[in-house]
Amino acid sequence: MNVTKEQLKQQIIEALNLEGMTPDDIQDDAPLFGEGLGLDSIDALELMMVFDKHYGIKLTDRNESKRVFASVNTMVEYIESKR
Amino acid sequence: MIIKVSDNIISPLGVGSEENFIRVSKGESMLRRHEDAEGLLQPYYASLFTERRVFSELCIEAAEEALWGCGVDASSDKVLFVVSTTKGEDLELYHSSEKIVKHFGNKNGVIVVSNACTSGVCAQITAARMLNTGKYDTAIVVGCDIQTPFIVSGFQSFKALSDELCRPFDGARRGLNLGEAAAAMILRRTDDIEEGQWEYVAGGIHNDANHISGPSRTGEGALRCLNDVRNGGFGDLAFVNLHGTASLYNDDMESVAINRAGLGEMPVNSLKGYYGHTMGAAGVLETIISMKAVEHNIVLGTRGLVTVGTVENVNASNENRSCGGNGFVKLLSGFGGSNAAVRWRIKR
Amino acid sequence: MRIVIDGKKVVLDGCQVETKECGEKMLTELYRRYVGDYPKFFKMDTLSKLGFIASELLLQREASLRGVERFVPSEERGVIMGNRSASIVNDREYEKTIQKGDYYPSPALFVYTLPNIVTGEIAIRNKFYGESGFYVVEDKETLMEIVRSSSMKAGIVGWVECRGRNDFEADVELI
Repeated sequence: MNVTKEQLKQQIIEALNLEGMTPDDIQDDAPLFGEGLGLDSIDALELMMVFDKHYGIKLTDRNESKRVFASVNTMVEYIESKR
Repeated sequence: MIIKVSDNIISPLGVGSEENFIRVSKGESMLRRHEDAEGLLQPYYASLFTERRVFSELCIEAAEEALWGCGVDASSDKVLFVVSTTKGEDLELYHSSEKIVKHFGNKNGVIVVSNACTSGVCAQITAARMLNTGKYDTAIVVGCDIQTPFIVSGFQSFKALSDELCRPFDGARRGLNLGEAAAAMILRRTDDIEEGQWEYVAGGIHNDANHISGPSRTGEGALRCLNDVRNGGFGDLAFVNLHGTASLYNDDMESVAINRAGLGEMPVNSLKGYYGHTMGAAGVLETIISMKAVEHNIVLGTRGLVTVGTVENVNASNENRSCGGNGFVKLLSGFGGSNAAVRWRIKR
Repeated sequence: MRIVIDGKKVVLDGCQVETKECGEKMLTELYRRYVGDYPKFFKMDTLSKLGFIASELLLQREASLRGVERFVPSEERGVIMGNRSASIVNDREYEKTIQKGDYYPSPALFVYTLPNIVTGEIAIRNKFYGESGFYVVEDKETLMEIVRSSSMKAGIVGWVECRGRNDFEADVELI
């Protein structure tokens, strides 16, 4: 399976119910949390579920997930490093 | 005034409030590592009954035992049932709680308090208020939850469960353990109180107005609850029994709230190391155990605690300590930003 | 002041609010027209959306009628709600995420498997530090008995029943 940024953004939008957003609205290197999309702790947990469901990656450590979910770029890098 | 006339606990530790208190005071627990037969759930630590129990049956058993010998006709229209649960049976909270009142032939219907993990304290407060309206003489408060894959998977998805025995207030705490139990209290409105009886002093329920799954870092709701039960001062308290789930944020929040309330020196404890988090039962069960502890002049040790490591200091110990005082405060917090506190006093 | 919502109709303070859609889509329509700036709405379960919209319309109406400012933190105001079927609709949604062979428990759904979350959502939105509580009872009259016995003097109280994503009713008051 080849992960594209486009695909991942679509999965993020669907999983987090980011109503009215399209993949184009999410910058590859923009922070997802805090200032960025304004995501919160439940969104971070939901992204962990997305990683498990779509990529078979089980993240358990909250601190590690913070680094991985920094931006779309860091998420794709992490998925590819696990391949 | 509102007094407690009887109580009962059915837990994996034993049947009856006295039996439970004795085993807790000896430092015993039924928290064990469990593996799911279906293999879906990650292994988890919990205090579970050895045989699968049914919510409504367990509630009936707990209430029947509490009612025994206290001369209350549970079918009377002056008797109100208040049930505290988060999930009931098959997710049908009303229907499964209605089975309890129907069993006793009570026609008043049932009030189910579903305020997440604060339900057990909210149920006592609601019962006391309803008694004070004069419509009822007696309230039967029952708190109960049975653990299911539904609940365990949810807490696991929240990364809220510890992969070891829980360590309330400890600097190295890693999350909570779940538990199941049923606990019942019979409350009555009366004009006179006898020596050795417990009087409901005050209760408070407040929202953090902060986040649906994370407690306020400044303990806004919990602080307001403590202020509601301040009642002129905390001088005669033996201790404050905290929620103390051993989750990172809950225990930090409580440490902040009690310090803001001026209770930094007050002995505090958590009972989660004996029972795990029994959810809808927690408020009722922990209130009953705290009453027994005050009757025996001890602050029960916080099982699982080694070194206090909350953001603000708390006066907690893993050993039983002797104490004076004629009462205690029971504090809880939970999802939805809810917080609740209740204060009880014994007539010496 | 009172608002009554069912799957097809909204009556605020005695006047019908015009809507085109039905069911949950109607709640979204109301959100877009009257709120619009609170994207957390889309993460809520139907029960929370229902309670949230009811409280928003009441508080907006209050602000315009009495000229009071919204979003001022309030020590006094609280939220007490109740219904017959707790959070059953979202409970069933969460259950679907823990099926054998398709086991991916969703924390975003799990958090709404408690009926009191709707009261928390309203308290958070409006900075209400007063009492919040949820009661599963026979009918609205029983709920109002509980409310009258409580120490809450002001805030949002009422019935929010949700039996399906398009099968719900709310009867909520601002007191």
